[in-house]
Amino acid sequence: MRGDWRNRAEHMTNPFREDLVSRSTPEPCTVVIFGATGDLTHRKLVPALYNLAVDGELPPGVKILGFARRDKSDEEFRTGLEDLNRKVSRSGHDEEVWGSFVQNIHYHRSEFGDADGYKRLAERLDEIDRERGGKGNRLFYVASAPEFFDDILEHLKDAGLNACREGCWSRVIVEKPFGTDLATAQHLNEVVNRTFEEKDTYRIDHYLGKETAQNLMVLRFANAIFEPLWNHRFIDQIQITCSENLGMEGGRGGYYDKSGALRDMVQNHLLQLLSLVAMEPPTDLSADGVRDEKVKVLRSLRQWDTPEKVADNVVRGQYVAGHVDGRSVPGYREEDRVDPESMTESYVALRLLVDTWRWSGVPFYIRMGKRLPKKATEISVHFKSPPDVLFSAAHGGLPGSNVLVIRIQPDEGISLRMVSKMPGTSLRLEPVKMDFHYATSFGKSSPEAYERLLLDAMAGDATLFARRDEVEEAWRFIDHIERAWHDVPGDQQPAMAEFVAGSWGPKEADDLLRADGHAWRRL
Amino acid sequence: MSETLEMHPELGREVEIGSIDRELHQLWAEDEARTNASLINLAVYSERPGALEENSRTIRELTREHACRALLIGIDRDAGKTSIRAWITAHCHLSHGHKSVCCEQIAFALTGRATGRLRNTVFAHLNSDLPMVVWWQGELSPIFSERFHGLIDRFVFDSAEWRDPRESFGRIEEAMEHSRQMIIHDLAWSRSHQMRVSLAALFDDPVAQAALPAIDRVEIVHHPDQHCAALQLLAWLAVQAGWRDGLELDLALSGESRGGYSFENQGGVPVVATLKADPQSAAVGALVLRGGEVTVEVRHEAGARFLTRRLEAPGHAMEAPGPVDPVAPAEVLGEQLSRGGRNRLFLKILPRFMRLLAGREDR
Ligand SMILES: NC(=O)c1ccc[n+]([C@@H]2O[C@H](COP(=O)([O-])OP(=O)(O)OC[C@H]3O[C@@H](n4cnc5c(N)ncnc54)[C@H](OP(=O)(O)O)[C@@H]3O)[C@@H](O)[C@H]2O)c1
Repeated sequence: MRGDWRNRAEHMTNPFREDLVSRSTPEPCTVVIFGATGDLTHRKLVPALYNLAVDGELPPGVKILGFARRDKSDEEFRTGLEDLNRKVSRSGHDEEVWGSFVQNIHYHRSEFGDADGYKRLAERLDEIDRERGGKGNRLFYVASAPEFFDDILEHLKDAGLNACREGCWSRVIVEKPFGTDLATAQHLNEVVNRTFEEKDTYRIDHYLGKETAQNLMVLRFANAIFEPLWNHRFIDQIQITCSENLGMEGGRGGYYDKSGALRDMVQNHLLQLLSLVAMEPPTDLSADGVRDEKVKVLRSLRQWDTPEKVADNVVRGQYVAGHVDGRSVPGYREEDRVDPESMTESYVALRLLVDTWRWSGVPFYIRMGKRLPKKATEISVHFKSPPDVLFSAAHGGLPGSNVLVIRIQPDEGISLRMVSKMPGTSLRLEPVKMDFHYATSFGKSSPEAYERLLLDAMAGDATLFARRDEVEEAWRFIDHIERAWHDVPGDQQPAMAEFVAGSWGPKEADDLLRADGHAWRRL
Repeated sequence: MSETLEMHPELGREVEIGSIDRELHQLWAEDEARTNASLINLAVYSERPGALEENSRTIRELTREHACRALLIGIDRDAGKTSIRAWITAHCHLSHGHKSVCCEQIAFALTGRATGRLRNTVFAHLNSDLPMVVWWQGELSPIFSERFHGLIDRFVFDSAEWRDPRESFGRIEEAMEHSRQMIIHDLAWSRSHQMRVSLAALFDDPVAQAALPAIDRVEIVHHPDQHCAALQLLAWLAVQAGWRDGLELDLALSGESRGGYSFENQGGVPVVATLKADPQSAAVGALVLRGGEVTVEVRHEAGARFLTRRLEAPGHAMEAPGPVDPVAPAEVLGEQLSRGGRNRLFLKILPRFMRLLAGREDR
């Protein structure tokens, strides 16, 4: 009888969904998390799923199966998750919802490299499907350290878990870092694509799940006043800044020292933001419609493919001991788990050129650093100055040009700097700022990036995930720089600049812009 | 003045009608640390005595999430004396624990013949370019005329407050004909929002979806004051499931089926729906669909913080909580404002709802 229903339901749609939510519908599934005893699962993934349940957005029948190596009962696993959910959940912790939500969480103990563990996993999933009835959709979330990605994917394939039954789907979400260079990313992509089709592969970039990043397209394409100006004729330069006041607390040094600012942040998050700012209007809002345009931006990046070009366009740096937020902090090389002779950059500044008709000659400056004065991520679009005929030096000149700032975090919002006359009998011009703060205008808190992204993956909407070619194009660009830094003889390597922790980065980064007649925006 | 302040401490400072703008300006100049925020003009209209102060408290809560310029309108059409009075204040909240974000409020009390000056007086104080949302409380009075609704972008009302919903909905339909820009929101409809979301979520399950053609019984339990909400929910169910109207009159004639409605599904199967009024029930307390061995139900126990979604079929049982709709009208309104949109689904089911309403009242 039940089988009958399932067959009949295959071609039906749910008539009650109409107009209730303006997004594609997430479907019931089992979410299998690899690395489920880890930090990411406890701090981000399970609280995100819980908050979706609170908001009634989680499809009924979603099960969560944690996969990790430690010996734990379902009960122990649930207790650990509960402890953290109490601390970090966006909407607080409600006993009643948690009580019901947690019934759907189970634990599966296995080594990542143990084939038998995957066979047992397959049996367990079948059992869950039988109990739950309905479809056997599966969402595999690879939240392990990257060295296990291959193993996990290969074993999933060997156990037949990548293949889905008729009418069902099997998808994989892969966490960052997606490779450490082009070769490893290509290898990983091959492994992933041998196991799952590209349409079922979701490479997470949690920056794309942030409200303001999503608002970028709305700002550009739902307002008539920006797009006509969004090109080299009116825009002088664009800056993307991601500054962090933290250093290597909590043992992060171990991972970070192998990665560095360029690979950890620029290759993925900041180049994704750049793509959203610089892309052409997509033909539609489908995942591929948007990603086709984004990848064209990456493909148009002028390559810094010689050590000289790298030296001219990229600055790497490390902080030395200084003060942040009134506390004295050690230098990068003195940090916990960092090599005292480390040549890993904790700071990077780049000049990029997007060789397209639209952006010809407009520099994009990106900077990212640890132990800068404050935590902030923003994009600033600096417009050209108007002709200087009317308000010339006699009137004090123009006090800067228009700047449109899109703040990604914290205090998400948009501001526009304009020039205005100071009150008084003489003609004095001053910059004024029009400011829009999300939090002030919309009292409601935005969902966490992971909430949106998990829901999208359940709904089969990959718009906010990176596609294979995007990841590879980004690595192609980054690789030249990494090679110039690390693979050429020591004396030809571009220098490692130093700056005092708590300042806005090295002097060399200021010089990089000064050479073009520009300066970093003061945050 | 001091008497006024005692009478209306909640409304803030009483000001001359002609100097409202100047006084508002002064209000902001007094404290530079405050940020003025506004996304909409929100006018709250009431003819109930004492409503101004109550609505001011409501707006204070509402502005936590919805920055607006609030215009409270208190009307006494029957008063012999003709008067217009106004008060201004700001509702401030700490945003993320530091910045003080404020919304300004102007309250107007109009009595006697001055009520005819409502449009000119009140609407001269809109924040320009921002949409105009009107929350109309209580029965539609003669003031709800073309001259009034021609200015409105969103019109919010609560059909639960109406003695004769059929007549009032008729006026709403006329107003929509005339003022095509106006989007309407019935708070009664918003009260079943989460019921609908939960039912839709249950029907994501293929077992429920496949059982839909076999559903032949529907039960809706509602609070006696929320008959419109229940009937709108039923209209939605019938429209979305593609059920045609059935032999309602036959059912009405047999005494035991009072509160019964009949439909016919796309396969010709008769579907019987019953609405039960229960004073202990939440606004909409239950929506239960049955057919063969399958039960799909959403229940909201009065006072519970979560709905129960349940699906039962042979060898297949599922239960999960879902969020509830708020109870207080201001919170219902807040949720509705967050959802925005053109409320197309409501417009789609409105004719069916009107038919059900008419059928019911004709009996
Ligand atoms: N944490 C974050 O906020 C964050 C943010 C963005 C991206 N990421 C990425 O997410 C991934 C996971 O990060 P994390 O911080 O959660 O790592 P983590 O705390 O170190 O957790 C690693 C997990 O992997 C499991 N594991 C390790 N070796 C295993 C093996 N041989 N067999 C089975 N299980 C094994 C561990 O299980 P046992 O405990 O049982 O050993 C643990 O559950 C990384 O790729 C990271 O870059 C993390």
